[in-house]
Amino acid sequence: MPTLASQGETIRLQPATRRSRRFAGPWTYLFLAPAVLLFVVFIAYPIVWVACQSFFSEDRDHTASFVGLETYWAVLGDPVFWIVVRNMVLWGLITIPVQMLIGGTVAYFIERHTNAWRGFFRTMFFLPVVTSVSVISLVWVQIYAPYYGIGQEYLRHFGIIMASSPIGDPSTAIYALILVNIWQWTGFSMLMYVAGIANLPTEVLDAARVDGARGLRLAWSIIIPMLMPVTKSLLLLGIIGTLQTFPVVQLMTGGGPNHASEVFGTYVFRTSFVLGDTGKGATISVIVLVLALILSLVQIVYLGADLAPSGHKEESR
Amino acid sequence: MRRHHPNISRIVIHAALFALLAVWMIPEVYMLSIGLRTPDQAFDATLMAWPLTLDNFATVIRDNAIVSFFLNSLIVTLATVAIVVACSTLFAFACAVLHLRWSLVLYATLLTTLMVPLASLVLPLAILLKTFGWVNTYAGVIFPYAALGAPFAVVVLKAFMEDSPKELFEAARVDGCNAWQTYWHVALPLIRPALVFVGIWQFIVTWNEFFLALIILTRNEVKTLTIVPMQYSGLYMANPGALFAVLTLIALPLILLYVVVQRAFVRGLLAGAVKG
Repeated sequence: MPTLASQGETIRLQPATRRSRRFAGPWTYLFLAPAVLLFVVFIAYPIVWVACQSFFSEDRDHTASFVGLETYWAVLGDPVFWIVVRNMVLWGLITIPVQMLIGGTVAYFIERHTNAWRGFFRTMFFLPVVTSVSVISLVWVQIYAPYYGIGQEYLRHFGIIMASSPIGDPSTAIYALILVNIWQWTGFSMLMYVAGIANLPTEVLDAARVDGARGLRLAWSIIIPMLMPVTKSLLLLGIIGTLQTFPVVQLMTGGGPNHASEVFGTYVFRTSFVLGDTGKGATISVIVLVLALILSLVQIVYLGADLAPSGHKEESR
Repeated sequence: MRRHHPNISRIVIHAALFALLAVWMIPEVYMLSIGLRTPDQAFDATLMAWPLTLDNFATVIRDNAIVSFFLNSLIVTLATVAIVVACSTLFAFACAVLHLRWSLVLYATLLTTLMVPLASLVLPLAILLKTFGWVNTYAGVIFPYAALGAPFAVVVLKAFMEDSPKELFEAARVDGCNAWQTYWHVALPLIRPALVFVGIWQFIVTWNEFFLALIILTRNEVKTLTIVPMQYSGLYMANPGALFAVLTLIALPLILLYVVVQRAFVRGLLAGAVKG
């Protein structure tokens, strides 16, 4: 312990400096080690590996040869790639705003207009998030099924008759999957907005009410702007979530029919694990990664970084 | 905080919320209802069919080893949550309290994980785990899950620690606590609400993870609950009652767990929002 004691001595000699708040000893760096180790082995190394791999092509005799950007051009020239891009854009553009709108509205009414039932509503609308996604997928396959599916039965009451399942038709498949995704994840947006609304400073709301803002007016001009931090983090999470999309699509359509509902997840899965084309799989992985980084950076530059569950200390004060 | 609203509007709002909830719950109710049907009614295109029977559940529980899948899920999930909580509290403590040199650079680096879609990692992870010999082992999913989950936990916990009263840590130091003692006796009890939130969220995410599990866990002995529904959909193609009974049993544990812990979960979320 002599080293520790002497260091304690030096620290006590300069109490006014920032150093005084520090705990002594290089061994404290061990606090950082476990998380960094996990990151290096399971995140950083795979990324570096996949980036290198994307420049090589493996021949039949398992010798890799350097091909530069060749695989990239091959992927960009693949019509399926552009279907995937279109689907991902649709997915993000539809799910993110719709979830915000429904989730935010529900959260507003739950937080501001219910009391006894508040906990019940919060829990129930969140249930789809905690229901296993593979279970959800099979339930929705059944809902969409022709003849015995309940969804088609309900549509018939509105005079809409479909010959087949919406997930079996190339023109509707992606929308049918988007609906499932919205259904599953709206509860998440709801809960984030619930946290945001519950933490709105009471003084501001009271002041607004004194000034005559009520009901919709209050919601529109006070609450929505003050919930911007939540909306921003939902946007960021939504974009990453869109690029993550896999289970629902894999289980309900497998990316079909004829690639119509292909997303990055199924495209990578099919290329790498079904077709066994590691080089192309690696290239697609890198493209997804670069896209994700660019989209995140654009958002952080324009909207500021904020990944806390809700609110941010600078902005909520 | 709220003035009394006219009773009519309260009733209308409650009615609207209940109506929306009823629509929202159709898939969940439908799942349960098909599982409770007799074979004759299994293909009826109605939300509910009477009479209800528990036969499907009895058949399914008798014929299948669901419990072993359940245990696999439990082992993988609990181990992941434990590792995430341990790594992220240590890391957040080093950043927020110890102010170690370079810790903020490492923090920023770690955060990039949040922007990495799993789709771009599965291929290299699969190959890495193969070289480790971790395919079809619990470790093969536990460690990648922990690596993917830790950064979010670090963000939440670091913000929470930074907003805790600095004097407590200072007092601990003056009283002669070393860094580890301060972490264990001061920091951890202080951040408990955030810790509960992070733990529950990691539990939900891990329990329901599908992509990596599908690739790494291919043998029945190690499969988690999330990836078994597919094999049942083939097995019970002609018997939807049994299939949906299995699906209900697969979905139920996490739903029940959430209902039990939701109060603590939301409390942690609200507390995190106040502080963070």
